[in-house]
Amino acid sequence: MSSFQFEYNQEAVKNLKIEDTSILDRLVDYRHAREARHKKDHSQRDKRMSLSEAVAEYVQDGDILGYTGFGYVRTSLQSDWEVIRQGKKGLQSIGSPNTCQSYGVTFGNTPYTHASYAGAEMRGYDKYFSDNIKSGRVKILSDWSHGLMGLGFKAAQLGLPGVFAKSGLGSDLVNYNPYLKVMNNPMVKNGDPCVFVPALCPDITFIHVHAADMYGNARFFGPAVNDLALAGATRKLVITAEEIVSNTDIRWNNKGVQIPFQNVDAVVELPYGAAPGYMPGCYYWARRWWEKLFTMMSEGQEHMDKYVREWILDTKDTRDVLKKLGGVDFMINQKRLAKAAEADNEDSGVSFKYEPWTPNTPPDVFD
Amino acid sequence: MAESKPMNPLEMLAYVLSRQINDHEVVYIGTGLPMVAGILAKKTHAPHITFVYESGGQDPIEGGMPWSVGGPETYRKSPMILEMPYSFGQAAMGLVDTGFLGFAQLDMYGNANTTMIGEEFTNPKVRLTGSGGNNDVASLCEKIVFVGIQSPQKFVKKCDFITSAGHLTGGNARQESGLLGQGPIAVVSTAGVYDFEPDTKRMRIKTLHPGVSPELAQLASGFELVRPAGEIPVTEIPNEEILEILRHEVDPQGFFISMPGA
Repeated sequence: MSSFQFEYNQEAVKNLKIEDTSILDRLVDYRHAREARHKKDHSQRDKRMSLSEAVAEYVQDGDILGYTGFGYVRTSLQSDWEVIRQGKKGLQSIGSPNTCQSYGVTFGNTPYTHASYAGAEMRGYDKYFSDNIKSGRVKILSDWSHGLMGLGFKAAQLGLPGVFAKSGLGSDLVNYNPYLKVMNNPMVKNGDPCVFVPALCPDITFIHVHAADMYGNARFFGPAVNDLALAGATRKLVITAEEIVSNTDIRWNNKGVQIPFQNVDAVVELPYGAAPGYMPGCYYWARRWWEKLFTMMSEGQEHMDKYVREWILDTKDTRDVLKKLGGVDFMINQKRLAKAAEADNEDSGVSFKYEPWTPNTPPDVFD
Repeated sequence: MAESKPMNPLEMLAYVLSRQINDHEVVYIGTGLPMVAGILAKKTHAPHITFVYESGGQDPIEGGMPWSVGGPETYRKSPMILEMPYSFGQAAMGLVDTGFLGFAQLDMYGNANTTMIGEEFTNPKVRLTGSGGNNDVASLCEKIVFVGIQSPQKFVKKCDFITSAGHLTGGNARQESGLLGQGPIAVVSTAGVYDFEPDTKRMRIKTLHPGVSPELAQLASGFELVRPAGEIPVTEIPNEEILEILRHEVDPQGFFISMPGA
């Protein structure tokens, strides 16, 4: 299916013990990705459907899944969980960070990763990810820095075969990433080593936004991370939105419109699509839910299996998840905290103090 | 005041790191202690610094302590919010003065590991977080300051994996590799503050924290620390007022400055 024969960084292929490199091809096959985007119906048409329909139609087993947002910030967690509910298999994950592999589309569904950062920042490294690497349940196909991966998505968005970067030089990343090559800047006579980063084209990406119209024109605010780039880089794109607005609304509030409709395959109305994470200006993350999760991640497979069952397989949809998180009280409180955190609302008198999660925390407290 | 708790090593680290920040600079802030130090510096001696975060936020107004480098406090009423490649691009373009980073292992030339511990990449003892933005900040900013706990397991002869290039093999190696910027200029640890000897680019003792002798610092290092000629100054410690700011205004929940298990 590939339109190119690829020449990977052989040292990295050897170091990563990748026997059949054809598994690497689709991510960097920008011609193939162009063809896929070109074949789409480019008309402005109503693309609305339910989340379960979108996942059923646009996620295939074996797809390369692009992760969006930033760990727990505007990440399409509810879409990721639906991918698990539908039992999709053999996926590759790519994103900066790829932290969500432990709590988004997790290892049973995703045996391959293009790694960049898996951890919980102040809570340290992700022991669950580490255990899964050691057991071989997930295999690293390439190891990245955030900046280099971001440039790969950006190159794809700009329609470039790749870019020359100044990150990665001298480090071991270039020895453990088949896609990266140290090359000289062709414009400089006496040598200017650079790292060539190819355009990176995932198969399917979910992006959660504040508002979209039925065609897929979408706007969001807060850290863009790599999502503008991914919206262009991916072959298939599902937009999930806090609200669906009219095309007139998009046009009259066009300062925030960031994702054009053409590459969008499906538009899903999905309030709280980033829960239990943070949605800029809309809802705060469920702090104790995350703290409990980090604890379970440290305690290993059995606990994480239980978590997947409890929160993902045994819930029907996002509404079910919200009820479990605390329902109306939770929703009102998280909105208040988010608006205060961003200084959108008066924040004096709004307390962010809370008792961090411990095994003694009541089982229904997650905020 | 008399009842205030004694300073713990993480508070000392946060304070000493904050002193590495010069007013009016643009600083790239990594996760953990660099965030604490940055906010402390802004509230004390460096009110005009500008923060840059990799998720795209920069220059937020004063708010709480972020959970991470993507949280709402990183872009609270920011003048603009960027995307990741543009954020790192600013460092590559020469618009960021200093980057502040943590490490799991650090060698004598300021090369850092945050990727894995063990002999074999595909079967590590521990898989750590991976680079995140560590490599990019270290590769692209003009100056780098590292911060972390010092022990022979962390100050190592050879990193199990070089996630982020410092001075590589020393001398002019960094420049020859094509990297930008001066590379690491300082390391702040639980034992002292280090700089890099100008010719060899080896880590050199600059000051030691109260009660730490050069011998003790050396015991807590897996490689030989360069000792400067003459007497080694004692690191300045925070006064009560700064400790108060650190505990009550910067990190009141103690996310980063409480000792584990304390």
